[in-house]
This record gives sequence, C-alpha cells and structure tokens, in this order.
Amino acid sequence: MTDMNKMTPLAQDYLDRFDTVRTRLPGYENPAVAKARDAGFARFAALDFPGRKVEEWRFTNLSPLTKGIETAEAPATGTLAKPEFDTPHVMTFLNGRFSAEDSRLDDLPKGIRLASFAAELDAGNTTLPDSVAEESRAVVALNTAFMEDGYVLEVSPGTILTVPILIRFVSLPGSDADARHMRNIIRMSAKSEMTLLEEHCGANGHAYFANPVTDIVLEDDARLNHYKLQAESETAFHLANVDCDIPKGASYENFSLSTGARLSRNELATRITGGNATSILNGAYLMRGKQHCDTTTITRHLVPENDSRQVYKGILDDEAQGVFQGKIHIAPDAQKVAGDQLSRALLLSERASVAVKPELEIYADDVKCSHGASSGELDSDAYFYLQSRGIDEKTARKMLIDAFLADVLEEISNEAVRDYFADVTARWMDEV
Amino acid sequence: MLEIRNLHATVGGKEILKGINLTINAGEIHAIMGPNGAGKSTLSYVLAGRDGYEVTSGEVLYKGEDLLALTPDQRACHGIFLAFQYPVEIPGVASATFMKTAYNAQRKFRGQPEVDAMEFLKLVREKTKDLDIKDDMLKRAVNVGFSGGEKKRNEVLQMSLLEPDLMLLDETDSGLDIDALKIAADGVNRLRSPKRAGLIITHYQRLLDYIVPDFVHVLADGKIVKSGDKSLAHELEEKGYAALSAA
Repeated sequence: MTDMNKMTPLAQDYLDRFDTVRTRLPGYENPAVAKARDAGFARFAALDFPGRKVEEWRFTNLSPLTKGIETAEAPATGTLAKPEFDTPHVMTFLNGRFSAEDSRLDDLPKGIRLASFAAELDAGNTTLPDSVAEESRAVVALNTAFMEDGYVLEVSPGTILTVPILIRFVSLPGSDADARHMRNIIRMSAKSEMTLLEEHCGANGHAYFANPVTDIVLEDDARLNHYKLQAESETAFHLANVDCDIPKGASYENFSLSTGARLSRNELATRITGGNATSILNGAYLMRGKQHCDTTTITRHLVPENDSRQVYKGILDDEAQGVFQGKIHIAPDAQKVAGDQLSRALLLSERASVAVKPELEIYADDVKCSHGASSGELDSDAYFYLQSRGIDEKTARKMLIDAFLADVLEEISNEAVRDYFADVTARWMDEV
Repeated sequence: MLEIRNLHATVGGKEILKGINLTINAGEIHAIMGPNGAGKSTLSYVLAGRDGYEVTSGEVLYKGEDLLALTPDQRACHGIFLAFQYPVEIPGVASATFMKTAYNAQRKFRGQPEVDAMEFLKLVREKTKDLDIKDDMLKRAVNVGFSGGEKKRNEVLQMSLLEPDLMLLDETDSGLDIDALKIAADGVNRLRSPKRAGLIITHYQRLLDYIVPDFVHVLADGKIVKSGDKSLAHELEEKGYAALSAA
C-alpha cells in the first residue's frame, strides 16, 4: 500500500540497518530465527508505518515517531530505582536486555518457567512467534524482524501462583539504542493461574521507541491476570500489541494504566475460542501536556456461550489527546454471547480532547451486547457543592477525579495491584 | 453578622439582583419570600460564592469583612452554610467520606485537630438519629438515589454537623411532605442560638410555620420591596405576590 520509494524516514532507516543490526541480535546463527526475522522484515517493508489514511490509525498520527526520533538532551546517565511494587518475583529488562542482577527469579514455584527470550533464541529453543506473513500490523512485523529480548513464561498444568510476578522494562539514558523491540510469550497450561504485572518506564527527557509485542496462549480453564503500568519517559513512544487466545473455561483479565509516553498506543486483541470463557479488558489513562494515548481493542467471540467486558476511563488535562477504538466481533455461530463495552473520558481542560470509536460486528442473533461512550468536563455543580462545604478547590477536584476512576480500579481483581495503581493515580492527581 | 448593601448581580450577562439591602444580626432569622424568578436563589448563590454569579456593584460584609473576596470554601470555613434547593448527586463519593472531608477541612481551617473515622462516625450517628436518617445512607454515594425528602434531610444533617454561624436555606421545603418538613425544621430550630443567624428563602409560607422568622422580606424583580415581621408571610399567603407588587 505504500510506495517503496517513499517509505517514512524511520522505516527507511530500519530497512537500511537490518542487515547490519541483525548480526548482533539474538539467535543470529539459528536458521529458524533468521527465517522469522526475514518474514517480519519483508512484511514490514511492504507495510511501512501506518499513516492516517489507514482506517485503524485515523486518530493517531505517528509522524512524530516516523520522521525519526530526535535524540533529546537527555541526562547522561540514570539510575535504576528499586521497584515500588512489593513482590518476591521480579524480572528486569534494562534498555531492552534482560538484567539478571536486577531480577529475583530464584523463588519461583515449581511449574513456572520464566526465561529471557534472547537466551531462548541464542540457545536455539524454538519458541518463535507464529508466522507473520499475514500480519497487518506494521509494528508487529517490525518487532518480528528486530526482536531483541523479552520474557518467555511457561506455566505447567494446575500450577497456581497468586503472588504477582513483576516484570520491569526500564529505559535509562546512556544506551545507544533508541528502540526496544521486546517480544513476550506466555503459555499457560490447563487449570493454571497467574498474576503478572508489567511496568514500562523510562527516565524523563530520554527519547526512545518501545514496541513490545506479547503473544499469549491459554489452555482450557487457565486464568491470567495481566496488568500493565505504562509510565514511559514523557518523550518516549510506546506502541504495544497483545494477542491472547482464550479457550474453554479460561479467563483473561487485562488492566492497563497509562500515565507516560509522548505518544502511546495499547492494542489488545483477544480471541475467545471456547464456551464459558471470559475476556476482560479494562484500563485507565491519565494524560497531560501534549501526551497522546490510544487504546485499541478487538474482542472476537468465535464460539457460543462466553462473555467479554471492557471499561476504559481517561483523564485528559492540558492539550492531551485520548483515543479509544473498541471492536466486539461476534461470529455467526457464536450464540448466547455477552459483550459489554464502556468508554468514558474526563476532560480537565478545554484544549484536551478524546476520539471514540466503538464498533459492534455481530453476526449471531442470540447475543447481549452493549456499548457506551461519554466524555465531559468535571461536574461544576458537584464541584461547587463540595467547595460550599469548606473543601478547597484542589481537594474537591481530586475527590471528583478519584470518584470518576474509582469504579474502574475496582475491577482489578488482584488487591495488591489495585492498591498500587490507586497510589499511582493518586500521585498523578497530586500534580493536577 | 451579614450586611448586604446595594447588591447588584448578573447571571449570564443578565441583571438579576438590582440593589439589595439587608442586614441580619446574630440571633435573627430572616425569611425572604417572593415569586419565581425574583432572584431568591441567585441571592443565595451569590452569598455562597458560586461561579457565574457576578457581582456588578454593591458590597456584602460578613462579620465585618468583605465576603465577596472569599472563595466558596473559605466562606464555608468562616461559617456560612447553604442548604441547596437541589442537592447535587455525586456518584463515586461516599456520603461519609464527603462529610468527614468537609468537617475536617473546617476544623483544620480553625486550627482544630482533625477527627479520625471512628470519632467522626460517632458524631454523625448522633445527628442522623435526630433527623431520622438511616445509617446506610452514609455509605451511599452523595445524594445518589436519594428521595427528595432524603436529599433535604441530608442537607440539614450536614448543617447540623458543620454548625455554621450563618445558615442559608434555599427552598428547603420544596419537595417535602409534612412529616419530612417537620423533621427538617426541627433540625434547623435545634441550631437556632443567639450566636447564629439564618436566612430562609422560600416561595411558600408553610415552612415559616415551623421555623418562625423574626423578619420577613419580599423580593420581587431583584429588589426587596417590602419588609415586616412574620405576619407579612401570612398576608402574602392570603393575597398573593401579585397584589403586593401592584401596591
């Protein structure tokens, strides 16, 4: 669809560098890896980064990224802070590579294997992404060509771990690379249960492009709580893709809290392939300045008798922009399916904006689906009511923002993560 | 306690108050009556400091200080309480949290130590009993799903808790049946004291049977057109506002 002669500057840069860069990427000697990279590369070369004429990208303009990342005046070095979230299981990636010294993986229970994807590739393990020949998402294809590291999580049948595993992707100034093509793979066997918290963060003033791709396969009756805090540097780009297959009796719960990045897109695709299965995609985004945050979801109900829910809440201050695109697809035979979707945005400034595109594609007749979207300012009546009782402006504002977010945070089923995300949002609000 | 001098105010560019003069001393209860659109609610909002109600001339002194220079929350902390005609629903904020935050904000303002949740609950339970308010209301979101009567009683509850010096009651009787009206009026009467004053805004004389005012004023077209004692309220009830405006 793009004229090969007119690639975006960043895409051209990737094309030019591929042959050199791949020699230092993991699995270089491995023909299977080389084949996957070639396929990804070919696909990306055919696609380029999407422009705004591509329907799925109408509301998100990638040109600040694709014209090439400007190397900002970043501090020369940064230090890795201790994780704030308290858990015995921590895996850390520093500037795109697994850092064993910043990780604690020794106490993981039997039945859980958590490894570095780079190590897997180097070791010749065949954990490779599925073919990308049909891939329509350019950044996923790009990731397949340049995939560098990430986590591989394998959970054996019946293994249950309630304590969350924290996986940190930290970007600090001082590294040459300005991109992080992380590839994560999760395989959960039957009846296993896990809680995973990902943190994507970077030192402010530091410009880079994070492009994580996560492939998740659940087996029957598996349950995954997958949480993510996106707190990248305010000059960073973050384009994330998650694909998850949800078979019979399985449940996938995703909650994404986004506060960071100059431009971010969180793209989630779930495929429900069994009865009594559940897909829950929730999130909150808190944006200010000129930040742009896009949440794009697609939930596919492919068989009868399962349900999906989505609630996204956004708070946009200054000139921040929010995008929510949510599609629920129900296949012709997928009867007795329930799908609910809600998107609400609170605009704290006249210059903040949100674009919302809910889509229902329903080909079955016995289904219950709903979608709702709203955006608005703080309720001035409520604001005055609080103030008229002696509550100062700042506290009143915080109470109302807090109230706006309360119900979506309540959806997080893991209590420790819920409390942590409540802390993060409270801190964000302190700066309002 | 309150001195309003030649107060003019506009809402959305339209002049609603056209020169109000009114003095309320400590210990007094004043009633302002008047037809719809006379500016009664505007007066209450101007005194409470609502955005969009612009004072174009005149002044308001409260305890000798310039009231109009204060923000709404400062006014509340200095002891002004407005019982709303239409109490606002606030989904997501529990009544108990709201009231505790307000109570502690005012204590903090006065240099008093804040109370903890347990202490506060004890305090508020004493008041809810008097006002026939069920405890579960405290757990519910502010005014959300409350009946009209519950909303008005909730206003009186907040007022009992915050113990203001100047009570402004905006149509507290509207939407109340007679039993609820009595309960609300009793709540207000309990607060009456030589140190406190009140301004009761009402369309009907009914409320004034239960909260007996010392003075009654008639507000019409943005001005006080007549003042008297409580007998004026009865006169209005008999003859109507039209007769008075014509006079």
